[in-house]
Amino acid sequence: MSVLSPQAEAERQRIRQQFEAGASARETLRALCELADRNVQRVFGELLHVHESAPQGLALLALGGYGRQMLFPYSDLDILFLFGSEKAEQESRRLIAEFSRTLWDLGFRVSSAGRTLEECKRIEEDNAEFHLALLDRRFLAGDAALYDKLDTKLLPASEKQARGFLLAELHRLTKERLTRYGNTIFHLEPNVKESPGGMRDYQATVWLRQIVEEKKESRKITAAEEELSAAAVDFLSAIRCFLHYKNARNDNTLTYELQAAAAERALGRGDSVTRTPSEWMRLYFRHARTLNRQLLRYLEQKAPVPLTLRQRLFHAARAAKLEADHGKYCMEREGLLEVLDPPALADRAITFSLFGEAARTGTPLSREAERSIGYILTHPELRARNTEMSWATLREILGSDFPGVALRPMQRLGLLTETLPEFGMIDSLVVRDFYHRYTVDEHTLRTIEHLQELADPPDARGAHFAPLWKTVDRRDLLILSLLLHDVGKGMPVENHITGSLAALDSAARRLKLSPEEGAEVHFLIEHHLDMSATMQRRDIFDPATVSVFAESVGTQERLERLCLLTYADIHSVNPEALTPWKAEMLWQLFVATSNHFSRTLDRDRLHAPDEIPMLERVKALAGEATLEEIERFLEGFPRRYLAMHSAAEIAAHFALYQKLGAEPVQTELIATRHAFSLTLLTADRPALFATISGVLAGWGMNIIKADAFANAAGVVLDTFHFADLHRTLELNPGEIERFRKSLADVVNGKAALEPLLKGREKASRARTPKVAVETRITFDDSSSAHSTLMEIVTQDHPGLLYEIGSALARLGCNIEVALIDTEGQKAIDVFYLTAQEKKLSPQKQELLREVLQATLS
Amino acid sequence: MMKLEAIIQPSRFESVKDALREIGIEGMTVTEVRGHGRQKGHTEVYRGREYTVDLLPKMKLEMVLPDALVSRVVDTILKTAKTGKIGDGKIFLSRVEEAIRIRNEERGENAL
Repeated sequence: MSVLSPQAEAERQRIRQQFEAGASARETLRALCELADRNVQRVFGELLHVHESAPQGLALLALGGYGRQMLFPYSDLDILFLFGSEKAEQESRRLIAEFSRTLWDLGFRVSSAGRTLEECKRIEEDNAEFHLALLDRRFLAGDAALYDKLDTKLLPASEKQARGFLLAELHRLTKERLTRYGNTIFHLEPNVKESPGGMRDYQATVWLRQIVEEKKESRKITAAEEELSAAAVDFLSAIRCFLHYKNARNDNTLTYELQAAAAERALGRGDSVTRTPSEWMRLYFRHARTLNRQLLRYLEQKAPVPLTLRQRLFHAARAAKLEADHGKYCMEREGLLEVLDPPALADRAITFSLFGEAARTGTPLSREAERSIGYILTHPELRARNTEMSWATLREILGSDFPGVALRPMQRLGLLTETLPEFGMIDSLVVRDFYHRYTVDEHTLRTIEHLQELADPPDARGAHFAPLWKTVDRRDLLILSLLLHDVGKGMPVENHITGSLAALDSAARRLKLSPEEGAEVHFLIEHHLDMSATMQRRDIFDPATVSVFAESVGTQERLERLCLLTYADIHSVNPEALTPWKAEMLWQLFVATSNHFSRTLDRDRLHAPDEIPMLERVKALAGEATLEEIERFLEGFPRRYLAMHSAAEIAAHFALYQKLGAEPVQTELIATRHAFSLTLLTADRPALFATISGVLAGWGMNIIKADAFANAAGVVLDTFHFADLHRTLELNPGEIERFRKSLADVVNGKAALEPLLKGREKASRARTPKVAVETRITFDDSSSAHSTLMEIVTQDHPGLLYEIGSALARLGCNIEVALIDTEGQKAIDVFYLTAQEKKLSPQKQELLREVLQATLS
Repeated sequence: MMKLEAIIQPSRFESVKDALREIGIEGMTVTEVRGHGRQKGHTEVYRGREYTVDLLPKMKLEMVLPDALVSRVVDTILKTAKTGKIGDGKIFLSRVEEAIRIRNEERGENAL
């Protein structure tokens, strides 16, 4: 036997040299397998001879990768010793020990197991891996009749019986493995065997097919898919051989260094074209995606456990509901969206509506639905219509509760890059980084998925941020910022933010974003690292830090978006990056800044001549008005007014202001996505805020947000965002004019408010709130130089603001500034109050508290 | 050999790390911690909800140093972590009996 060792080694070297000279992975694996087979058979034969034994009652089987003839250079030889009886097992012990030792000396790592025929029949419930490996059995040496009995008589029957168990176990093991790797193929340093998209995915797919005894003709796999899958297996096999040879051990991690080495030798390509490591890794991810997609489709389709009757009834009911709502194109089945009429997908508007549905409901597209869309996309002969996704359609998706549920398949299908070509720059992009674990596109999509998880936070880290996600304004702009925030990493620029901003410019032009929308996304991208830097490198308990940070952010709405963006960005670096400690720091900075905004609102008032650039922009939009006239209008508004409104909006307000001479109450009513926005300008007068709130309540409108500002000349500008609870204005456009007239008449004293309110209050008060919110009233005299701040947190209900405003008016309190907000059924209102142009006395504060407590409880 | 543990403000961490690197200290263990000494916590109110910050965020640095370096490192941390306010943190020093490098079993200061 001693002569075998150098021979085996020389043969191994020859195979390696051939691989390095360009032999394919397939040839290499076959050569390695044949080498192992020859040695196993020879050693086994020699030992039988030495021990003067006959091969009866003992057979050697190759299992696992070795069984399916995919033996990598440093992989173990999985060998099963099959015994005809327990007696045969006892008699073979010495021979087996010597066999394993000899093969070890020849440079083969044997991983062996022994079973009798009887034992092979029994299902070992704690060892599914063994039964799965047995699916790849191959006869090596010994008693062929014994193997034949196992292969053709015993195992087919027991495997059929254990099909449910094997499927369930394979599902469990696969899902555990995928979860261990974050359910993504996009790792910066992937493990080409175990990571999603690795060889294990391919093997699991093969096993799934084998277990369900799929007939080739019913596989629903196209020839093109088979070809892609074979190419992917060849590519990954080549990498795995390369890694084994480079590492001189069974190590399958594709490190940065080895990515560079593989790219340099154009590994797996056979075209000798040297690529950058990033380009080469894109090839890797393309192949990994093929294998992973195939596995996921099988995992999804072959449910190991039949549905219960209750589940079936539940799904049937839901499907019917969706079908009725959405006609013929899609339906929900078993929690997935299915396409009912695949040819209709040639109309891209229908495809986009599917994504809109997925984003709205959080119901993912089934793999089959994705395949149908993919088929249409790759067959130009099926003429596509309406191929361009407008900003309005994209906005719907991005602004939904579950944008990631749509964006993920859109990316897989190439539709995201089609809509947002800038995103293509980070497609499968590996950027070497000590902290990041995923490719840049994967990191980006994860940010969005981490935000949508906030609908039901999976752990305590998200608890603080969940209400923010539910109520944040312009979610679409936040998600667009996330999609583009790291795009610059794929561009040849020194600072990736510069690149991302350039990408935004081109995207904004193409999508036709309004200047205000573009500016908002620009801010978020430009400052996407600021909050993280401030919380980690500044003392967030120092008011000066908070003040500087607040000034750079500008408004509460922007702060909320930036906070969510920061949360998502840190969370998606790697699973451990957002420690509870960091989440807490982020939250504390957010709270401090938010409180800074509401408590210092009137500290900083506009002095119009200091705002020349803004004045110029407004003037350009305001027709023939002079700068002085615009200055007079703006003088004395809180700075928040400038921060919250674009030049176009200010010009529109100015136009209303100019008409005040002709008509003392000017209003503008705009329908927004889910509500209405009312702007009202008039000269200040007692109980104005309460009166407007009362008219809105009288019309059955629920105020969601409001703010009230006054300029130095006493012109009041109030903005109310309200929900039209009874759809009065939406369904009766004629009512809009009547509503405006009613508002102007009541404010001007031409009509009484009381008849409007009659009956409405009773009806709304009768409803029982779903969540009880305790009323809490706090006063703060220190934050403002000339006003007392009053914060009220209470149960929201229609007419609430009217009740508060009336109480304030009755007690002679003047509202200098009001910030009204709601969070679900909780109303959060801040008022800057004065009485006779002074702060409220302690007695007045106490009286106000008593009156409001009595009114609101 | 001495073991040094320093509890510092998170906002001073980068400066302390850079200053230590300048005097040749590259290796340290850093932990995100929470606690309070004389700098008590405070209560914030956000949208009507009281929110108590009784344990304040801090960074803990740990390193084992040869005796000759200890005073230099302490001076450097004092200089860079100090803002003069309550809550700047503390430095703790304790004697270390032995250090062993697992890879090659070197002992004593050579193992640092």
